[in-house]
Amino acid sequence: MSDARQYGELGTQLVMESRRSTQTDTLIKYNDSLVLSIIREQRDLEKAIDAIAVEGRGPPPALLIIQTAINRNKRCLLAYHSHRLDRLRDMYWAVGGALPHILSNQDIRSKLSPHEVDYLRQYNSFVMEFRSEFSHELDITASITNPPKDLYVLVRVIRDCGKIETEMGTIDFQKGQRFMVRRADIEHLIVQGYLEEA
Amino acid sequence: MVPAPPDDREPDFLEEDVVETPLEQLTRHWMNERHAPDILPAQEALLAALLDHLRRQSDAVQLLRGDPSTSEEEHIRIMLVQTEIERVKFIVRSYVRTRLFKIERYARFITINADIQTRLTAAERDHASRHVPRSTKNLLHAKLTDQHFYLEILQSLPEKQSHLDDTPMFVPPMVTEPDTSRPVFVHALKQCPTVRLPDGATLDMKKGHVSLMPYAIVEQLVARGEVELI
Repeated sequence: MSDARQYGELGTQLVMESRRSTQTDTLIKYNDSLVLSIIREQRDLEKAIDAIAVEGRGPPPALLIIQTAINRNKRCLLAYHSHRLDRLRDMYWAVGGALPHILSNQDIRSKLSPHEVDYLRQYNSFVMEFRSEFSHELDITASITNPPKDLYVLVRVIRDCGKIETEMGTIDFQKGQRFMVRRADIEHLIVQGYLEEA
Repeated sequence: MVPAPPDDREPDFLEEDVVETPLEQLTRHWMNERHAPDILPAQEALLAALLDHLRRQSDAVQLLRGDPSTSEEEHIRIMLVQTEIERVKFIVRSYVRTRLFKIERYARFITINADIQTRLTAAERDHASRHVPRSTKNLLHAKLTDQHFYLEILQSLPEKQSHLDDTPMFVPPMVTEPDTSRPVFVHALKQCPTVRLPDGATLDMKKGHVSLMPYAIVEQLVARGEVELI
């Protein structure tokens, strides 16, 4: 393979990552170096345009090609980041808005860029603000996958989660134990994987 | 609550034409919202009334449960009420979250489209505008999503490329809009006015009729409550 690259080849690679992420339903590590290379390509392309422009005369066809490459690369960059934000938001809601739960997970954390961590933090604060509109009646971040059939649920503790306030007083959930508890009290623990419905 | 107008004497062997309860209304709006590609008008009054009702029910339940003279049979009833409360909350939650999802998705479109803004609650409008700035020109004051794009990419690009509102030729627009041509399943709740399909044919939907068609065609009927999306 030669070093010569077509315009937009890196952009294609980046979008392929997004597609792979969708197909495998996983968050892929933020591709810092590829993003940087494309940004560098963009700068070079812009310089190429400037170089053509100074020559004076009417716009040569090369200009159109370079401009198209610029537009395409930019679109690829935005699509890649936008796709990641969508995934991050999905992830956030899947754990019922428990941000510390995501950020303390080293595996996930290592896949995020620093700006993405900031994004999540800020997103979280916006959602919390929106949630406060309803806080007297219900918690909009609770699960919406299955409608509740019973008031109480038998749960098995998968991971220690310490003392939790419930309707029946404080319960100390320790691994391996089983409890019959009010669903609304512990729903978020099921979502976050501390408890499992037995 | 507006009583449903009398239907046009269609034979109806299973159900009488009864007035929709608030919960039935919410369920209908919830289903519509989940199936419609566009954001539907917010049901603020209905939602507020239901939440109010939920709160009063919860308070009453708390009171009765604490009362030692409550009989065993009543305790069972209380449990049924509590379960029902949880189930209604589930629908409210799902309804609110469905809207939230669409609002985030179309945030940029919402800020430039006055019509869609009228369909949102004040809180929803706030949430949308936090995601994108009202003016896309000044990226330094950009909000959440735009700010993210700016920090990750745009600030590193040459100045000429660092805007989010380009309209290059031959490229789809950068603002995501609801796709109202998406097909939806429509269930007629009463005799509907004639609609014209994309191929020029017309369709008369009788009560109970179920059909698949682009959302844009039945948009008005959904808004008037003459059909529901299923």
